[in-house]
Amino acid sequence: MTPSSLLIAFPKGRLGDELVPKLADTPLALDATALKSRVLRIPTATPGVAALLLKGADLPRYVAAGVASLGIVGSDTLDEMGMDVLELADLGFGACRLSLCAQAGVTLHALREKPHLRLATKFPKATEAWLTREGLTAELVPLSSSAELAPLLGLADAIVDLVQTGGTLKAHGLVETAVLGHSSARLIAARGAYLSEPGRIRPLAEQLIAALRPS
Amino acid sequence: MAVRTPHFPDLLFGSAARLRQWENTLMGLLEAHGYRELHPSLVLREGVPDGSMRFFDGDELVALRWDFTVSLAGLLARRFPLPPPRVSYAGAVFRRPVQPWEAVERFEVGCERIQPEGEASGEADVELARLLMAIPGALGLKSAILHLGNAALVRRPLEVEGLFGDLADAVVSALSRRAPHRVREALDGHPSASRLAAHAEALLSAMDGPRTLDALKASPYAELLQGEREHMERALHALLPILPPNLELRVDLADVAGLDFYTGPTLRLWAPGAQQELAAGGRYDRLFPGLGRPWQAAGFCVRLSRLLDLAETRPDLFEQPR
Repeated sequence: MTPSSLLIAFPKGRLGDELVPKLADTPLALDATALKSRVLRIPTATPGVAALLLKGADLPRYVAAGVASLGIVGSDTLDEMGMDVLELADLGFGACRLSLCAQAGVTLHALREKPHLRLATKFPKATEAWLTREGLTAELVPLSSSAELAPLLGLADAIVDLVQTGGTLKAHGLVETAVLGHSSARLIAARGAYLSEPGRIRPLAEQLIAALRPS
Repeated sequence: MAVRTPHFPDLLFGSAARLRQWENTLMGLLEAHGYRELHPSLVLREGVPDGSMRFFDGDELVALRWDFTVSLAGLLARRFPLPPPRVSYAGAVFRRPVQPWEAVERFEVGCERIQPEGEASGEADVELARLLMAIPGALGLKSAILHLGNAALVRRPLEVEGLFGDLADAVVSALSRRAPHRVREALDGHPSASRLAAHAEALLSAMDGPRTLDALKASPYAELLQGEREHMERALHALLPILPPNLELRVDLADVAGLDFYTGPTLRLWAPGAQQELAAGGRYDRLFPGLGRPWQAAGFCVRLSRLLDLAETRPDLFEQPR
């Protein structure tokens, strides 16, 4: 990073889809032409400030390393990765549940009774914490996407995944059997940038909060 | 072919010369202020912690020196009936990295100010802050920021509320992330939730000079922390008039790094745009009593490895050598 440029890491995917329209007509609106291209570094309406479009799982690493000074990411990803970043605000949008989901008819009690429970998830840390709280043990099957298929095809007895509307679960004949936690979009900051250059970073953080947090 | 990680950096000519020059400069500065060097052994045979580089010497598990303050404390408690008041050190410590980019071998210079228990410590704290204020100039940094904090601002309210263990850790972690919403989440349903959440909001107010201390008035623990506030006010009163050019002094009420170690005032040195603090320290009055010595102590450590990295990646932050 050069001393003069300032990068904000924005997530691709579901959170990004919600975020981009909220920034329209603000000083941090993303350049529409660049957004339509395959470019991953997008100018904003503020000169000297650009956005990086990143996968959620990569995003905290860019911020922790100080490449991006600010970023927006789901709290589920943040909790899984445990990177050393500041978490300046809960932005409220992108709210969803982290849930244990199984095929319709399979109860939590039935899962508890299994001598060898297998859970497919891309959230092993949160799943392990829940298992510890519940006094359960399980084999964790790490997956990075399409976890809904795992119970249907016998890869796992159930999944731990994010649920927003429940539409994807329903389409695969799955139901929520327990809620492990909640997630929403968080504004994060590089510790070094925020503490050593508050005059540069804080006004941007405040602009993002004003644009993205429901009043 | 094995992949070589940067965890054990080889210093080539430029960096090696810079390290030697900085060590000499800083040790000279400390000596001029009455600090005498001690050099604890590189190998520790007692108190081998998890994060250290450990290995077997025959049947005995030993560790490489992982922290100068802890090594020096052991040495001082074993060898001195009365504490030498001012001690300095220079050399490498070895720690397993928490972040992937951190080195295992880290070069440091630092100092410790040790006093018998019960002796007034305010002047010693100011002495250390003044010394730390001289260090950016000695190293050729064009500008720097010194953060003043106080571990007691978080430690004492947690103790008064009877918060220990995992719950206290969750609150400290939330403050470290500057996330007041996480403090509320962590304390959901706890009798102290509203008080500690209000306290967190007060601590996380803007770091804008001496007025930042006024934020403590809004805390439910304002009375409890009156002594700490007065101590910080006195320190600011002593330091602001002698602030060197290009050094900014800020109050950081939410500095909770090392809260399990520090008991009072804390110091952190930053350069604008640096990703990690370049020096850190504070008061740790529980260390020597834990070793059976009724002494109190404070000190700071300059992280030369980080400064070497910074000189490589951001040479614009340093004066050009003449």
